[in-house]
Parts: sequence; structure tokens; C-alpha cells
Amino acid sequence: MPERTSKLCPLRDAAELVKDGARIAIGGFAIYQHPMAFLHELVRQGRRDLTVVGVANGNDVDLLAGAGCLKRVESSYVGLEKYGLARNFRRKVENGELEIVDYPELLSWDRFRASQENMTFWPASFLGGSDILRYNPDIKEFPCPLTGRRLWAVPPAAPEVVVIHAILGDTYGNVLVPSRRLLPQSLDITLSRSCDTLIVTVERIVDTDEIVRLAHLNEIPAFRTTCIVEVPWGAHPCPVLGHYRTDDAHFREYTGSSHTDEGFQDYLERYVYGIRDHAAYLEAVGMETLTPLKTGDAFPAEPSRQYLPDKRGAAP
Amino acid sequence: MNNDKASLSEMLIVALARTIRDGEVGFTGLATGGAAALYAAAIPLAAMQLARLTHAPNLTILLSGWCLNPQLERIDIMPDSEFDESLHDLPCEAQMLAYPGQYAHKRGDIDFGFSSGVQVDAVGNLNSVCIGDYRRPKVRLVGPILQPEHMAFFQREYIMAPHHDRRNFVERVDYISGVGYPGGVAGRKELGLDWGGPELVFTPKCIFGFDKEHGRMRVHTIHPGVSTEHLRESTGFDLGDLADVPETPLPSPEELEVLRREVDPRGMLTGRRV
Repeated sequence: MPERTSKLCPLRDAAELVKDGARIAIGGFAIYQHPMAFLHELVRQGRRDLTVVGVANGNDVDLLAGAGCLKRVESSYVGLEKYGLARNFRRKVENGELEIVDYPELLSWDRFRASQENMTFWPASFLGGSDILRYNPDIKEFPCPLTGRRLWAVPPAAPEVVVIHAILGDTYGNVLVPSRRLLPQSLDITLSRSCDTLIVTVERIVDTDEIVRLAHLNEIPAFRTTCIVEVPWGAHPCPVLGHYRTDDAHFREYTGSSHTDEGFQDYLERYVYGIRDHAAYLEAVGMETLTPLKTGDAFPAEPSRQYLPDKRGAAP
Repeated sequence: MNNDKASLSEMLIVALARTIRDGEVGFTGLATGGAAALYAAAIPLAAMQLARLTHAPNLTILLSGWCLNPQLERIDIMPDSEFDESLHDLPCEAQMLAYPGQYAHKRGDIDFGFSSGVQVDAVGNLNSVCIGDYRRPKVRLVGPILQPEHMAFFQREYIMAPHHDRRNFVERVDYISGVGYPGGVAGRKELGLDWGGPELVFTPKCIFGFDKEHGRMRVHTIHPGVSTEHLRESTGFDLGDLADVPETPLPSPEELEVLRREVDPRGMLTGRRV
């Protein structure tokens, strides 16, 4: 029997799938569960002129903005929630160095649904009177062909590459999402179905038997995934819900350093440019910092009811 | 139970609670940092809980938009981010795990929500996007977030303004991220907005309502101790005749009792020392 192909790949190779000028979507939401290790690698490789299309963005976009990787952002929010404004992003927009296209939050999500449905637009009924229309020539008014009602055609998100971070996956690219998920993880699922190139970084690669045991949680089956990368603590300093908490002190270090371009270059030197790879990053942050951030297990061990993974067909 | 005078927060909570009707669905976000968190989250939550305990037992609270009917009395510290670990484990009746979720906002399922903006203008437009020119803003803010949806699909919106000054209350916002009443209710209809829009604006100095025919904001009540002159000086648009504007009513002793003893016994929401 021919062997099944492994999609496991090093972070460096995965990042090379994102070319200069690419249109990408980044998993996670605001300050939660972004594939930060992957973004660090993009910065390290000096990617330029990227467009990020998103729903609600945070330190993901702010990092790329501060490192000069971005040309354009389409989102409903770029901010750091309790840590305040996204200062790199803010500075670049105020200086006219970064184009921002504003969209309403759930409509931003609908744009990914349009891509999932392979539609050329998503209809919106509620944009009248808003400056969203005034500054966005990509949105076109049209009458509903059935009722004549005013509607607006909103372009699909259409990301060329989607990158998300999850907890568990296997070498073939199957990815589990915990049953107790929240909107950030659900957005990841929507994003994963809106593109042709999907990169998944996971905390841990597990045996396919483990995927089979928890098949009801496999929201991203192997065929969708282009490549999968094992990156423990790959969302740090963001939290991974059900796995580890926010690194509050690191977020404060980050925001403190992002007041000025110079300050942020120092941050990048410390955690990105001056660091060989993700393993060196974890050393720089320190396990004594990381370990206490751990929370419960998102995938509690529950026995398979009928089939044991290693004795298929045998009675339990 | 002490019989202190009602604080400003308590007065706003009670005034807000009285406008909530039984059976409604109310949507609130979360915010951090002093006044912003108080107005965006704590006052709305306390008002909803008070309404539930006094006259609206069938109210549905959508905390942070995804946590339905949370048992707030079981926590000591307000969660300070939308997907906070503590919020994740907070006992509630339903958790929204995905969008679209348990409610159909485009059908008008949400009766009311709460918005804040750095600028609010005379017709009730809101701005959370930028100050100055859009292309080269003096200050770039976070973006429109869910404001466009709030101000179009929710049956009514409460604008919560932690600061009441000329730079917040302006004749015309620099960017319209939430649409108020340009041209009144008829103007909204022409824009395709069949329902919704701002109902009341709560500030530390007054409560605004709207002349919905003409679409202008007008002073509904002035808080005790605030002069009409001071209110005019603090507001960047014309307030018209203020002669007949009543004072914001104080809570009744019964309302204060329920608020202090049952809604917020530990002062988590009102910041009241106990």
C-alpha cells in the first residue's frame, strides 16, 4: 500500500508559503490565540507589503505593522483590549504608511462566509448613512432583485493564505478544536474553510489514533490543511483557551516598547531578529514564565465507547 | 444597610433599569479601565440585573455578546476581557460557541445594546474610528467594531459616555461608525434602517434623549448639582431651551435597597465600598 503523505513541516518552510504582497488572514481574535510564532517567523524573513484581512485583530496586526510587513489591513478592530490601543498600527496609520479599510465586525465575519460559499459578494442591508461606505469603493449598492430593497454587495474576504494556531493535530493535517470552544476558535474554523492554502500551527502533534478517538472534534480534516507545524507555546503571549493563559507581563512589555519605533525595534531585536528560531524564543521568554500559565486539559481523556484505537473491531 | 445618598452610578443604574421592559434581550460588551468600564459594562449589567429583580424577570442578559444569563452574583471581580478564562467558567444558561449563534441579530432579536464612542454628535452618530481626517488621522482609534450592527439591528441603543466635554459631544463626528438620526426616523428609513437607533445617552452630567422627528439630541434630564450653564459649556452643540428640563430622578429607597443588597452586594459593579 502506498504511504500516506505527512504534511508536517518546519516553521521556516511554512512561512515561505506567504509571499511578499500576499493577502492573508490570521487566526484568533483581538488578543486571543493568534499564531504568533508563525508571525515572528514572517517578520524574521522580512516579508513585505502584506494585506491582512480579518474580523477583529490585535497584537497580530500590530506586530506586523511595527515590523514594516504590512501594506493594508481590512478589519473591524485593531486594538489590544485591556492593554489599550495598538500603538504600532496607530502610528503607521497616522503617518499614512498603512492603509486601513474599516468593516463592521459581524459583516467582516460574513465576508469569510462568502469565501466559504465561494460567492462573489455578501449582501448587507444596514450600511446606509455609515462612513464605511464613504471610504470603501469596493462596496457597491444594488437593489434586491426580488423586493427592490437597497442592498450593498460586500466583497468576500478572499484570503490567499490562512494561518491558524490550534492545540492538537496529526502529521496528516487533521486538527482538533475543543468542544468548549468560543468565538476565537470558531472563527478559526470559518477561516480554515475560506481559502485554498491553510497553514496550521499546533501545540502538539499527536498520533492519528488520538484524532480517531476524538473524531467529533475534528473540524479541520486533513485534506483542507496545506501544512502543519508543531509549535509549543505558539500563540504566546496570547492565550490558547483551555490550554494556557495570557502572559500579562509580556503583553505589558510589548505595549511599553511600542510607544516609539525605536522602542519597538528593541523589542523585535530581543524576541525576533536576535533569535534563531522558536526554541530560542522560548528560552528567551523562559520556561519559568511559561509553565505557570498552563491551564486545564482541553481534551479530557474519555474512552471511546465502542472501538478501542489499537484493537479495531474488538469488543471493549 | 446604610442609607447614604445615591451615588452618580447608582442614579444612572436605576434610571436605566426603569427603561428596561420584561421579556427583552439586552446585549453588553466588556471594557476595562475606570470610567470606560463603569459606563460600558458595569452600569449596564447592574441595571439589567436590577430590572430582572424588580420588574423584568424574563430579561435575557447577553454578557460580552456570548454568555447568556450569567450568574454574576457568583463572582467577585468583573472579567476584564471578552474571552477571559474566568468568564469562560462563569455559570450561565448558554454559551455562544460560534457565529451565527443563538440569536439572529439581523432579524432584530436584540432589544437593546450599549455603545460608547470617542465622539457623539448632535444627531446621535457615533465615532470609534478616528479623530481628524480619515486618511491621515490625528488619532487612529480601534475601528467600527460592532457599532454599525448595534446602531442598525438592535431595537434601541443606549449610548454610554464616561466623559461629557466639548470634544466628546460635537456637532458632527469625524467618522460615522454608528448611525444616529440624520433626518430623524424618516431619514433612517430612507437609509434602509427600518428600526433601531439611539434611545438615551447617559453621561456624568445629564441624560440625553432624541427628538426623533427632527433627529436632534435633546436634554432629557439634568443630574442634580449640574447647572444649565455648565451643561452648555460642556457640550459642543446647541442644547436649545433648557428651562423645562427636569432633574434626573433619584432612586427610590426600595430600588437602592435591592441594588445594594441583592444586585451588587460586594460593590463589584458600582465600585461601592462595603
